[in-house]
Amino acid sequence: AVVSTQSGHYGRGFKCAELKEFQIVGKPLSKTNEKTPIYKMRIFAPDEVVAKSRFWYFLRQLKKVRKVNGEILRLTEVSEKSPTKIKNFGIWVRYDSRSGSHNMYREYRDVMTTGAVTQCYRDMAARHRARAHSIQIMKVAEVKASDCRRSTVQQMHNSKIKFPLPHRILKYNKKSIFVAERPSTMQ
Amino acid sequence: IQSNLSRAIFCKMLYQRFIEVGRVCYIRIGDHTGKICTVVDLVDQKHLLVDGPTSGVPRCVLRLNQVSLTDLKIDIPRGCKSKKVRSELTKEDINAKFLATSLSKKAEGKKSKALLGDFGRFKLRVSKTTLNRK
Repeated sequence: AVVSTQSGHYGRGFKCAELKEFQIVGKPLSKTNEKTPIYKMRIFAPDEVVAKSRFWYFLRQLKKVRKVNGEILRLTEVSEKSPTKIKNFGIWVRYDSRSGSHNMYREYRDVMTTGAVTQCYRDMAARHRARAHSIQIMKVAEVKASDCRRSTVQQMHNSKIKFPLPHRILKYNKKSIFVAERPSTMQ
Repeated sequence: IQSNLSRAIFCKMLYQRFIEVGRVCYIRIGDHTGKICTVVDLVDQKHLLVDGPTSGVPRCVLRLNQVSLTDLKIDIPRGCKSKKVRSELTKEDINAKFLATSLSKKAEGKKSKALLGDFGRFKLRVSKTTLNRK
């Protein structure tokens, strides 16, 4: 695959573009020909290069393997099984704030797993000023509607959901910036 | 109690177009500009899962501001399949009903105005001034 020049690498972390899901399988190399354990990870990254980098970052933290002493056996992009079905995603996150490290459980409603994880990164940046490099996605799972804990997600679980668009302001044409009469905002 | 009731009735009449399952929408911005689609489900407050089998719109997620609501609505269950949406749309003949709406006519007018050309615009201006002079 051609490495995308758009996803720039800024210092330590990775720039969070529209994410893709990768399944990466790797193992430490053995000096003698004995069997070594094989590790599989689910990585959310903008491209393959960053995905491999994150794989080694996590594996190094969890096991005594380094990129120098290991090899990647398989890297495959995982595509969404049902891209037209709306799902509720529970995401378990670990992030570094300015004064310490915290765990979080966050919920998002989206059509794709990668969409939900991307939402999570954007949300963390907005609400907690957490940059992508300080966020670790621990677990992503589809959650049944009855098991959802967040009210912003639960409010969409109404089968007869319906709402108007009061006072709808759409992007106005620059030509009509001054008008004789107040424009109508009824949708 | 009386004032609340009257207020409730007033509110019911005030908003006639709702974002709901089955609402027919006109796509203003994006890949499928100019086509109509039906709301099949709601992702969140700003995103809709939309399908337009009779108008060439694949099942996809659109933002609310990409879309304009119409008065037309069909009766479909939430998240139903494209086949069901297609059968309901053809049963209600939504394509024909949409062409009769003012939104469709205005969109047609805009399209034909863009194709006028310089001479066409001159003719338009002349006809407008003669009409206004009468």
